[in-house]
Amino acid sequence: MTYWISAVGGLLTAVLIIYLIRRDHLHTRYALWWIPVALIIAILGLFPQITDWIAPSIGVHYGPVIPLLTGLIALTLKILIMDIERSRNETKLNRIVQKLAILEQALQQLTENSAHKPK
Amino acid sequence: MARKTQREAAYAEQYANCCVVIPARNEEDSIASVIQQIQATCTIDLVVVDDNSSDETKSIARNAGATVLSLPVNLGAWGATQTGLRYAQSKGYHFVVTMDADGQHEAEHIEALLEPIFTGTCDVSIGTCVTRGSLLRKIAWFAMKRVSGLSLEDITSGFRVYNQNAIAVLTTREATLLEYQDVGVLTLLHSYGIRFAEIEVNMQKRQNGPSRIFCSWLAVAYYMCHTAILGMSKRQYGKKGRKKAENITPLNYQDF
Repeated sequence: MTYWISAVGGLLTAVLIIYLIRRDHLHTRYALWWIPVALIIAILGLFPQITDWIAPSIGVHYGPVIPLLTGLIALTLKILIMDIERSRNETKLNRIVQKLAILEQALQQLTENSAHKPK
Repeated sequence: MARKTQREAAYAEQYANCCVVIPARNEEDSIASVIQQIQATCTIDLVVVDDNSSDETKSIARNAGATVLSLPVNLGAWGATQTGLRYAQSKGYHFVVTMDADGQHEAEHIEALLEPIFTGTCDVSIGTCVTRGSLLRKIAWFAMKRVSGLSLEDITSGFRVYNQNAIAVLTTREATLLEYQDVGVLTLLHSYGIRFAEIEVNMQKRQNGPSRIFCSWLAVAYYMCHTAILGMSKRQYGKKGRKKAENITPLNYQDF
């Protein structure tokens, strides 16, 4: 039963991601990460014996730990990547704000000059 | 006196290539007197960068005769200063003096700060006043110097003059993510082989409330952690791999 919950959860996540892309709520770029994640959840849910099969070959005694650990590592990586992107966006935003202030001053100067120009 | 006038005449052309950048946030009480003091001391273009003030800083500065750049979002002291540097670069100024808007820095020292820049003995001159520091500030300076490996006396002084090489470095995207103008800015300049000179100056007490960095223990703790991480990660080890300010391609006007 537990297996089916995780399989259905994975498939529902995949459907949700496709729905979000269709509705323009999610950039396709991010779906490249989330759809494989959702499919892996579904596959591991449908075929839990995969972890039992992998576990001895990498020296893990308790199979179910593998998906938990993999999930934790994947989430940590994802959050780190998100912070890198956030820093990049912050730089862009700050520079746009600075540019806006410079352009606004130029525009004001131009308006003042044209107002003082003899007609 | 005659020698001074001669020197002023020799520097008159250089002054035309200079501007003073003053980042200001809610400084309506002091901004007018700061501008008037500068105007009384030398003929130099003035740029006030209004960091999204909620008071009358912007209009007071404009009425006092300064060019005002108005930020629609609060970017902090360094973000505002960088805006001024980018403006100066786009207008073709060769030298930029940065001063605080709270009246701490005395306009009469501008000339002393500009001199080593004009003679080409350094790229950045820093107005230094080590006596002004409270115990808290002195502890902060000591820690910052140890962490970053910088050998300057007054790391936090905002009274500086930058030449074109320094402006080129400080207008890059790399410099945009910095939060404060001390360790981050200085280590970035250091990594490009920029030469510093320290000039001893007097500084007044702030006219308008406490310092924004040293306003509370929590703010100091955040500032110290932030600076420690920045200093450690940006510290220069040896001279290898130094970048050259001359190699920076200036961004096009259309670029942001």
